[in-house]
This record gives sequence, structure tokens and C-alpha cells, in this order.
Amino acid sequence: MDKNMKVLVVDDFSTMRRIVKNLLRDLGFSNISEADDGSSALPMLQNGDFDFVVTDWNMPGMQGIDLLKAIRADANLAHIPVLLITAEAKKEQIVMAAQAGVNGYIVKPFTAGTLKNKLEKIFERLG
Amino acid sequence: MNTLNTCNVSLEQANLLVGFLEAGQQEKADELVAEIQNPINTELFAEIGKLTRQLHDSLINFQLDSRISDLTTADIPDAKERLNYVITCTEEAANKTMDAVEAVFPVMDTIQQQIQTVNPPWSKLINNKLELSEFKSLCIDIDILLTNTDKQADNMRGLMTDVLMAQGFQDITGQVIRKVIDLVREVEDSLICMLTAFGISEDKTLERPRPTLGDNLIEGPIINTKGRDDVVENQDDVDDLLSSLGF
Repeated sequence: MDKNMKVLVVDDFSTMRRIVKNLLRDLGFSNISEADDGSSALPMLQNGDFDFVVTDWNMPGMQGIDLLKAIRADANLAHIPVLLITAEAKKEQIVMAAQAGVNGYIVKPFTAGTLKNKLEKIFERLG
Repeated sequence: MNTLNTCNVSLEQANLLVGFLEAGQQEKADELVAEIQNPINTELFAEIGKLTRQLHDSLINFQLDSRISDLTTADIPDAKERLNYVITCTEEAANKTMDAVEAVFPVMDTIQQQIQTVNPPWSKLINNKLELSEFKSLCIDIDILLTNTDKQADNMRGLMTDVLMAQGFQDITGQVIRKVIDLVREVEDSLICMLTAFGISEDKTLERPRPTLGDNLIEGPIINTKGRDDVVENQDDVDDLLSSLGF
């Protein structure tokens, strides 16, 4: 796992972005940017060379699931791994996210250990 | 309404009516018919009158219940403000806590780094393998470590007190939310009263409807997963579901 990779953290709550950023920093990632919903995240992704996206699902404007679909539909972005961290816990939604091509799904409330574990799994699978 | 149907025409009245008609006494026949119908009309009018009065009273009470208008014009906007205040309060507390925590991390890093500098020569000293020239620099490093740790202990105590004080939001938000819960309960009671006034009663046999969902089935955090088989309870459930999908 390249710790210098460029990560985008998307959440409408600044406190949650701060928590995720701190956890990522603790795991050795330092190149982290933030966006407060899908519609502000998408242009950032299109204009920057991001390697990884961590996003919430329920946000005003563009939701995380729609951001995921937009990423997968864009040939330039489709390869970027996406991790959902969300309070949405319906089985149907998890299936929806899986079908949309999510790389990992974490339900809130979550622990630092879960985030570490999912990150390792995602990058292990990508090789 | 059954009472209205009990006023039947008697055989006697019918014979009388036929007699009048046969005798060409149209007026008398009409009078008799009116007389036969009269008890029905009286009851019907009484019933309509009663309903009208009830409706009238209900409407008057409805207008007079200033509590309802207070609820919409004052209490509910006030509740919105209060709930926004809860968001602000909890956000401030979270940020204050994270400010302190983020300030502690570099302090820990510095102390750990200074200990790691001291550790190898210290082990040598314990094992009697330290050169005199190294001893001098070990003393300097230990001095730095002691001074810094002492100073940072005060710093960290201050930061931990900030974390402690930031938790005060719970008391304030708890009180605010409790007040909003009371308001919601009052609105609920008013709505039930209104429905009852219009003769709509709660059908207990019907399954309790779920709160409405947003786009993409958005429901937000699920407070009670008991009795629901459409939601996951924890991360293990998510992982199991995903692995069953071949993840």
C-alpha cells in the first residue's frame, strides 16, 4: 500500500471528515483532501489525480452512492477504489452499493481497527 | 338510524288513506300521509340538528384552541432553533475534543522520539558497556527528556481538562432534546384529537407504517434493529452479506 497516495474524504459533517483524516494520518496517509458532498467531490476527482475515495452515503446534494456510480461511469475515474463509510444499514442498500462497484462498506459507528482492516483488504485485492 | 325505520304505516292508516282517495278527498289523504311521515321527519330533523350543533361546537373549539396556533407559530419554530442549537453544540464539542487530541499527538511523538534516543546508550550503561564520551551525551539527552516530559505533562493535563469540559454539551443538549420530545408528544396528541373529532380512529389491526425513505432508500442511522430483518446490525453482518455476494 503506497502511503503517499492521494486520498479524497467526502462527508457533509466536518467533524466526521476530521475523524477519518486523523485515522488515515495515524495509518500513515498524509496526502488527504476533503469535499462536503458528491457534487463538490466529482470535479475535484476529474481535475486531480486521486488514488482513493472514502465517502459517506447520506449527504445533501449528491449522495455517496451516486458519486460511486458517477466514478464508475467515468472512464478516467472508474479505476479508483471507493470505500463507503455510512450509517445506512439496509441490506438492500449494501447490495445496491456492491452492484454499483464499491470496494468496501463500513457501517457507522465504526472503529479505527475496522478502517485499517478494510483498507488493507481493499489494497491487497487490488494488488 | 334504526329508529327511523320503526314508524311503519298501519293497516288501519292504509285503509283510511284508500278510503279518502276513493272518496276523492285528496286534501285529507295528503294530510294523512304527512301525519304518517311526521314522526320520521321529527327524528331525522332532531338527528341533523344534533349533528349540526356538534359540528358547530367542534369548529368553535377548534378555533378557540389557541394552543394549536401557538404550536405552529411559536413552539415548532422554537424547536427547530433548539435542534439546530444541538447540532452546533455537538459540533463545537467534537471540534474542541479533536483540537485537544490533535495537540496531544505531536507531544507523544516528541516524547517517544526522545526516549528512543536515550534507550540504546541507556542499555549500554546498564550493561556496563558505555564509553565515557558517550556518557556525556547520554546525560544531555536524559536532561532534555526530563525537562520536556515535565513541561509536557502540564500541557497534556490542560488538554485533557479541555476534553473533559467539552463533554458538558451532553447536559445542555439532553435538556433541549427532552423539551423537543415533549413538544412532539403534544403535537401528536393534538393530531389524534383532530382525527378523533373527524371520526377517524386509529386502526390497530393495520401494520404500523415505516417512516418514509429518501432517495436510494436513505433512512439514516437505525436506532432499533430489533424486529427488522431488512437491516444489518453491525460490521460483521455487512461483511457476511458482502461475502455471500462473492466479495
